[in-house]
Amino acid sequence: MNLAREFGKGFWKENAVFKLLLGMCPALAVTTSAINGLGMGLATTFVLVCSNSVVALLRRVIPARVRIPAYIVIIASFVTVVQLVMEAYTYELYKALGIFIPLIVVNCLILARAEAFASKNAPIPAIVDGAGMGLGFTLGLFVLGAVREFFGAGALLGVSLLGESYVPFLLLILPPGAFIALGLLLAGMNRWEAKKG
Amino acid sequence: MKDILRLVLVLTIIAAGAGLVLSMVEAVTREPIAEQRRLETLKALKAVLPPVDNEPDADTATLVVGQDKKGRDIARTFYRGRKDGQLAGVAFRVVAPDGYSGNIAVMVGVRPNGAVAGIEILQHAETPGLGDKIAQPWFKALFAGKTLDNADWRVKKDGGDFEQITGATISPRAVVSAVRQGLEFYRQNRQHIVAEGGNP
Repeated sequence: MNLAREFGKGFWKENAVFKLLLGMCPALAVTTSAINGLGMGLATTFVLVCSNSVVALLRRVIPARVRIPAYIVIIASFVTVVQLVMEAYTYELYKALGIFIPLIVVNCLILARAEAFASKNAPIPAIVDGAGMGLGFTLGLFVLGAVREFFGAGALLGVSLLGESYVPFLLLILPPGAFIALGLLLAGMNRWEAKKG
Repeated sequence: MKDILRLVLVLTIIAAGAGLVLSMVEAVTREPIAEQRRLETLKALKAVLPPVDNEPDADTATLVVGQDKKGRDIARTFYRGRKDGQLAGVAFRVVAPDGYSGNIAVMVGVRPNGAVAGIEILQHAETPGLGDKIAQPWFKALFAGKTLDNADWRVKKDGGDFEQITGATISPRAVVSAVRQGLEFYRQNRQHIVAEGGNP
């Protein structure tokens, strides 16, 4: 098994946001700014790596018939850990991400990786798979957040770039803007990849 | 039968392990979280009160300000800031229920003469780019120095003295009205707020 390929698969070839369109709820809802996207992505990556490694470790112990409840308990525990740690040490980010941290539990990306990959592979490949998928998800959220923040607020990572005279295109910060921005990004990417052959 | 037992056993062990891990994490993070919440209140208090040399969050009075829909009392905590033992200002938290999207929580600081020393938006979910401008410094500065008597507590669109925000009148209107109600309560109950359990 080629670990680099496993990583690249999750990071780009099967990118959760741009290729699989998985985990759309957090991807669309929290990406009003680049930093929110980054924080959400990293929190999800942490949960994904941890849950993948534990599921892979226990893959011979967990009976197939109760695997889903077992995975959910494992995932929910790590999400709660992330939530407590973020509230204790990164309070501002915790407040910005709000309700979406507990909702990492129901991010289908995480359960999908547990089911499709971690339950059939050893811990090391499962961790690499989780890291690739998670960082790919982070990349997607960061890019989407950056695009929305740049056009919707004229800033990037909280730093105003376009100055006072720029009239922000507010729609992109609002919920419908999330769909529109993602749609345009996907269209651009598909065209680029089609051209490349 | 044996199969079912195995399912139950595995799930129980996983859940117990998860519980153990969570209780350990909770124990480690409990104090930092309480400290973060205290710091947040303290930061807001510092922002809305004139300079003080005591710890306002340790010098409080709690009064019942009304009843909720189920008839239970709603308590409000008044934080008293002192300088050289003299009352320098009182801060309290009001909630505007009529924001554009959800409640807006505001910390209000009042000088002993009844004028607003400052306000701070603690929590809101107003539209980014429009209503969320209530959290910007220029909007919060509108309140400084205003009393119930020297200002008309409405937004300009409604004939009052407070600048609204272009494209978002509802959010400033909610904040102005909540602060006004807070001030009215403070004026009516000033004796109790300043006196109750009133040791610096």
